[in-house]
Parts: sequence; structure tokens; C-alpha cells
Amino acid sequence: MIKTIVRKEIAENLLSYKFFIVILLAAVLIFTSLFVMARDYRGRAADFQIIQPKPGEPIAVLPPNPLSIFAKGLEDSITRSYELSFIGIETRTGRSSTNNVFAFFPAPDFVYLVKVVLSLVALLFGFDRISREREAGTLKLTLANSVSRGTLLFGKWLGNLVSLAVPFFLITGIGLAVLHLNPSFRMPASGYGRLALILLLSLIYLALFLSLGLFISAITRRSATSLVVLLLIWALTVFVLPNTGTLIARQIVEVPSSRAITEKRNQIWTREILLAMSDRGHHMDHIRTLTGEIDQLEEGYRNKIDQLVRLAKTLNRISPAAGFVYTATEIAGTGIGEESRLKSDIVRYKTQVLDGGTLENNKAPVFHYTYRSIGDVMSAGGLFDFAWLLVFNVVFFAAGFVAFIRYDAR
Amino acid sequence: MGNALILKEIRNHLLSFRFVAVFALLLIIVPVTVLILTNDTIRKQDEFSRRQADIQNYLTQYAHFNRLGSVISPSQPPLPLQALVLGLSAAPRLDTFSNDPLPVLFPLIDLTFVLGILMSLAALIFSYDAISGEKEDGTLKLMLANGVPRAKVVLAKIVGGTVILWIPFLVSLAVGLIFLLLHPRISWTGSDWGALVMLLAGAFIYIGLFVGLGLLVSARHASSSSSILTCLFLWVLFVLVVPNLSPYVASLIRPAPSIIEVNRQIDQIEDKDRDDLGRKLSREKSEAVIKANPVLANVDRMSEPEVKAEIARNVDFARSYDLYRKENEAAWREANVIQGAKSKIIRADLALKEKAQTKFSVALSMVSPLAALTYLCADLTNSGAKNQAHFLTISRAFWDSYEAYMRPKMEEMRRANPTADVWNIPADVHDMPRFVYKEEPLSGRIKGVLVPLAVLFGMALGVFVAAVLSFNRTDAR
Repeated sequence: MIKTIVRKEIAENLLSYKFFIVILLAAVLIFTSLFVMARDYRGRAADFQIIQPKPGEPIAVLPPNPLSIFAKGLEDSITRSYELSFIGIETRTGRSSTNNVFAFFPAPDFVYLVKVVLSLVALLFGFDRISREREAGTLKLTLANSVSRGTLLFGKWLGNLVSLAVPFFLITGIGLAVLHLNPSFRMPASGYGRLALILLLSLIYLALFLSLGLFISAITRRSATSLVVLLLIWALTVFVLPNTGTLIARQIVEVPSSRAITEKRNQIWTREILLAMSDRGHHMDHIRTLTGEIDQLEEGYRNKIDQLVRLAKTLNRISPAAGFVYTATEIAGTGIGEESRLKSDIVRYKTQVLDGGTLENNKAPVFHYTYRSIGDVMSAGGLFDFAWLLVFNVVFFAAGFVAFIRYDAR
Repeated sequence: MGNALILKEIRNHLLSFRFVAVFALLLIIVPVTVLILTNDTIRKQDEFSRRQADIQNYLTQYAHFNRLGSVISPSQPPLPLQALVLGLSAAPRLDTFSNDPLPVLFPLIDLTFVLGILMSLAALIFSYDAISGEKEDGTLKLMLANGVPRAKVVLAKIVGGTVILWIPFLVSLAVGLIFLLLHPRISWTGSDWGALVMLLAGAFIYIGLFVGLGLLVSARHASSSSSILTCLFLWVLFVLVVPNLSPYVASLIRPAPSIIEVNRQIDQIEDKDRDDLGRKLSREKSEAVIKANPVLANVDRMSEPEVKAEIARNVDFARSYDLYRKENEAAWREANVIQGAKSKIIRADLALKEKAQTKFSVALSMVSPLAALTYLCADLTNSGAKNQAHFLTISRAFWDSYEAYMRPKMEEMRRANPTADVWNIPADVHDMPRFVYKEEPLSGRIKGVLVPLAVLFGMALGVFVAAVLSFNRTDAR
């Protein structure tokens, strides 16, 4: 029975205008995004060849991450050039730092498309599944056969998921194959594992919107109403709610602006230089005070930020979009956790260079950084987000089931 | 007749479910956003005055010219209008090691977001069935049977739809503004109000554009259910994707060199290459001087005390040595000038390419009405690219006045204490010029937003004409 329902759903989708336009949109956007982001990656990779530190230079720069094509995340921050000096760590950014159009709009990477566009597509697959069949009168005909409502709902869910997932994977697969046509694109084998995980997470995220669509469709009489409700819920989930946590967290944890830190650092520097000048015998003591105080300042700031991020992350998970973005970027190695880990490694590197006295004579050791393994990412919250998105799925489906059982099919 | 049509549209929507839903959503989101951003602005203002006090404190205790510039480096104070529009003031900063990664993943929401994304979506929800729906209900042929020109119907529907959308928005904004203006710490000037009015005028055109777009699509579709799909397709493309893609596409077409690379090149030119050149030039010049003045024959091998002793003993040597020293200095000056000119060319080339790229990105992104609205909001509230340029100009003026203050001051200190290193001794700088940020006057800001405004207006007009043409061909049966 369930097979018949699934097949009917898929056949119905394949013939509809909706399917055509939605798949067209997804294909155009995913191809464009992959092409543009891959070109951006190649540009950054070419830059890296030039800006790589020479042996002995106290500079830490990471090569660009090929997975940033799919999830840009904090890549721009991670691949900055971190240059050590006795007053702290200076950072320099490469291209695009003066083009402020970049700052106005988020990067159109694969994760953004899934989060915003494909979630809307998934909603459109689900929004009229029940109310439209009632309007068309086919719902009562279907139910007149001996099929349970649970089976019917699950069949609809599965049929739509398949008609969503197959083109989605197909388009992504083709896009990925096209990326490989360029010989300069190289991704380590583990990259494919990570990419597969991101795709799985995306599918769970999209299924959730499908379940939500079915649920709302089962509590509204008219498909037009169901659409209005869904679009508003979607806008809230994708754009508004992922911010509430950040905003609330900011009211609780007070973090100074980065400008304040810069000014403070300059003030400490000024003070110690002046004192050192009038106190020539103890020059090094002042330098040590200076370094110590600046380190303390920066560490205090980082602790505050860590606290803020932890709180904001927890609160933001009220929206599935937040959990999705956090974990997808972490898996790709461009997430908040990765960035903060890199920063602590760079601070450690700085201590090593300063203590070894290799800063002045340009004999600094080379900076090495290895990205976290998938296992680490998963245990540091990734697995929770997977489970959390599944919970959303189950809850919405269960709610849809309850609503559908009470649905008047006439 | 026109009035009757507009009123009918308004009444129709007023009773609909979508009106209630949009109203409820806006009534929550707008005041909450304004409230939170107001608190944020006040907090930023507090921090700013604390920072200014800190700077003052340092100036009285530790001011010395070597590092004075870095302490007094100008910074942008938070503006009252940032409680409505964040613009670039919330953009992630990558130039410091200590920075906040959160806004990169989830940009904060403000009035621009509400207008640009929520309201445009609401406009399409209101208008996607304006014609196809009436056709399905059968009221379209009845209305047209009254001999109303079709263009008038389209205009009435656009005006009615836009007005009805503005009621919930303006009510929620008014609630938000009450919070904002009742706050004792926030005071708005006339130009702030002017900016808000201009912003709302631009947004009115923007919303009208989307109502018109819904109408256009609706006139071309036989059923409302396919009309909404096309509307969403266009909305996603033009609102959610085109603006985001444009800077990336622009950087492919108009590439600019990496800033890190350019900086390294400049370091090489102004540091290592300059030393090499300076040494070479000074050797050439001093050899010439030594040849012309045989007294200096051994000068390269003499130590400093020996030179001093020789100067005191031998008048001829003293005169020649003075020439020798001057030629040496001239050589290094020349090296500085030559290398400075080289790096200036590289810097100018970078600036030119970056400017071309930014300009192209802006032009490309304005294919999307959202981008035009975003620039309009940001520039009117002094949180956009125009303000960054303005800030740079007044900072430069400040540095010039600082320079003009510093030179005579240091001269004065040198006179008072000839042996001291005036860069590194405490300086009394209570009378130094202070940086004062002054907003660009409203008239200048309005002039700056004429382009996005014209783009919005042109698009709205185009959509209206297209809607009329499509509706003229619609079969009303």
C-alpha cells in the first residue's frame, strides 16, 4: 500500500509546474554557487602561494580549505595572516577586505542555499499535500479505501522526501563532478567523508521542513492559508530566531568591542614605552609587563567571547537553522569551534616563539595546525545537532499525524 | 472610481487572514528589534564615553610623541539612528586578533531586514492572487464589465496593496519608536527625522515594487497556485541570492591583488631595497667627495671619536667632512624618494583596482531591489559605505591638524631641552586638537542615495508598465 502512495506522490510531483520551477531554481543556484565559490577558493589558493611565510618568519597562515566552497563560515577569519610581535598578534586579511559589498550580504555558499532556499523548497513540497487533496476531493476517495491515515501520511512524507532528495543529490553530484573537471581542484579523501556528512545533515534539515509543511497542511482547511502560515514560520525560523539567542546572550554577557581592545592595547604599549625610556636599566622588565598585560587583556576578551558563544549557541538552537549552520560549518572546518581552537593554538605558538627568543632573529619555528577530526567535531556538539534536528523531524511529524487523524476529509 | 477600487482592495485585505498574520508578526518583531537595538546603542555609547575617558587619562599621564598617534587614532562614535539600521556598523571586523565570530554566521536583524525581506515577502503574499484569484472567484469579469480601464485597476490594486501593508508596519514601527524616543538617553535631531522620512519613502517604493511584481505574475498565470510559485522563485532569486553573489562575481571579473601581498611588496621596497639603494648611492657620492677632498682619504676607517678630534683640530677637515655628511644624507633622502615613488605606484594601483571592483559590485548588486534598499537605508543613517568615506576624509583632516600642532610643539620642546630625545619624553598635550566626528549633513546624504532611489523607482515603474501590459492581455473569463 505504502509503495503505491509513494509512487503516486512522486508521479504527481514529476508532472507538476511546482516541481519544474523548484528544481530549476535549485539547479541554477547550486551550480552558480559552486562555480563562484570555487573560483573564489582558487583565487585564495593562488594568493596563499605568494603570502606563505618564509622559513623563520614568525607568521602563521593556513592554506585555504577546499570545503569552504560549500561552507564558507569563518574561513576568512581562519585563513588570515597572523603575524607575531612582542606587543601581540597582528592580523592581516587578503582580498576583499575593502569591498564592503561583501560585508552587507552573507556568502552565497552551499550551506546558505540549503539553509534559506532549499528549506523554502521543502516547505513548498509539503504545504498543500493534505489541504489541496481535500479541496480537489481526492482525499476522501483515498481514505474510502482501506488505508490507515498514518500510512497515508507517512507515504506522502516519504514520497515527497524522495522527490526532493533525488534531484538534490543529483544536482549536487553533477556540480561536484564539474568542479573536478578543473585539474587545480584537489580535495583530500577525508573531505569527501565530511561532504557526505554535510549532505546527510542537509537532508535531515530539509526533511524537517517537509514534516512542518505536512503538519501545517493538516491543521488548515485551505492551502492558501497553509502557505501564508508556513512562509511566516519559515521567515521566523531561518532569519529571526537564529538571532534571538545571540541578542539575549549579549544582554547577559557583556563583551567589549574589538575597537576597545585595540585602544587599550595601544595605551598599555604607550605607557610601558614611556616608562622604559626614563628607566633605561630595566628596559626588558617593561617589555615583559607590556607583553604580559596585553596577553591578559586578549585572554580576558577571548574568555568573554567563548562564554558568549556558548550561551548564544545553546539559545539559538531554538531554531533548527542555527543548529544546521553550526554543525555544517564545524564539519567543514570553518566553524566557530575550529576558529577558537586555532586562536588558542596561535597564542601557544606566540608563547613558544617569544620564550624561545626566536622573534628577533627570524628563526621562529614553523606553525603547524591540524583541523579537528570528524570524531572530535561530532563529540563536541555535532552529534547533538544531528539528534536535535531529528527530534524536530519527529515532533513535527507526530504533530502532523495527530492533526491528520482529526482531519475532516470532506 | 479609482478611490472606490482602492477602498475595495483595502477592505478586502483588512478582513483577510494574511493581514492578521502579517500584522501579528510585525507587531512582535519590529518593536522587539528596536528595543534591543536601542539598548545596544546606549551600551555602545557608554562604552564609547568610557573609552574617551581612558584616552584622556592616558594623555595626561603618558603622552609622548613617539606613540601619541596610535592612542588618539580617531574612532566612530555610535549614532542614535543605529537603533534602527545597523548597516556596516555590525559588520564583522577581521583586522584585529580579538574579534567576535558570531555576526558572520548569523547577521543581526534590523529595520533593513524587516523592510527588505519580511515586507517584500508579505507584499508578494498579499498580491500573488490579486488578478488570478479574482478570476477564479469570478469577480474580475464583473468588475471589468463596469467599464473601468484596466490600467486603473492595476494602479488601484498596487496602491491599495501597498497602503494596506504599510498600516501594520507603521503601527509596529510607531510602537518601537515610542520605546526609543521615551528613552531619556536618546535624542533625535531634525536631520535624524528627515533621514527616517526619506528612508520610509524609499521603502514605500520598494514595497510598491513587490506588490506590482505580484500583480504582474498574477496577471500572467491562470491559477493562483502557480502564481505564488513564480513569485517565490523571483523573490528568492532577486532578494536572497543576487545581492550575495554580486561581490563574488565582481571580484572574478575585476580582480584586485591580495592586500597581504601588496603590503609585503611595499615592505620589501621601502625597507630592504631602500637600504641597498641608499648604501649604493651614498658610497658613490662619498667616493666623489673623498676624491675631490684628499683630506678625507681615511675617513671611512676612522672611528667616531677620531673624527671628532680631527674636526676640532683641522678646519679644512671640518669643512670637507660637513660636505661629506651632507652628501651622505642627500643620498639616503634620494633613496627614500625613489623607493617611496615605487611603492606609491603599487599602492595607487591597488586602490584603483579595489575601487573599480567595489563600484562594479555595487552596480551589479543593484539588479536586486533589496541591494538598492540596503544601500539607501545604510547611507541615510550614516552606517554605509558613504559614511566610511566621510569618516576617512574627516580623519585625514584631523591628522593634518595634528601634524600642524606636533611640529611646532616638538620644536618648542627641543628649544627648552636641547639634549633630550623629544620623541620619547613626556609631553604636555592638553592643547592638542581633538577629533570630533560630525555627521554628514542630511542634504549630502540625500544626494548620495539618489542613485538607489532612482533604481528603485525605475524598477517600480517598469513593473507597473509590464503589469498593465500583461493585464491588458489577460482573459478575464
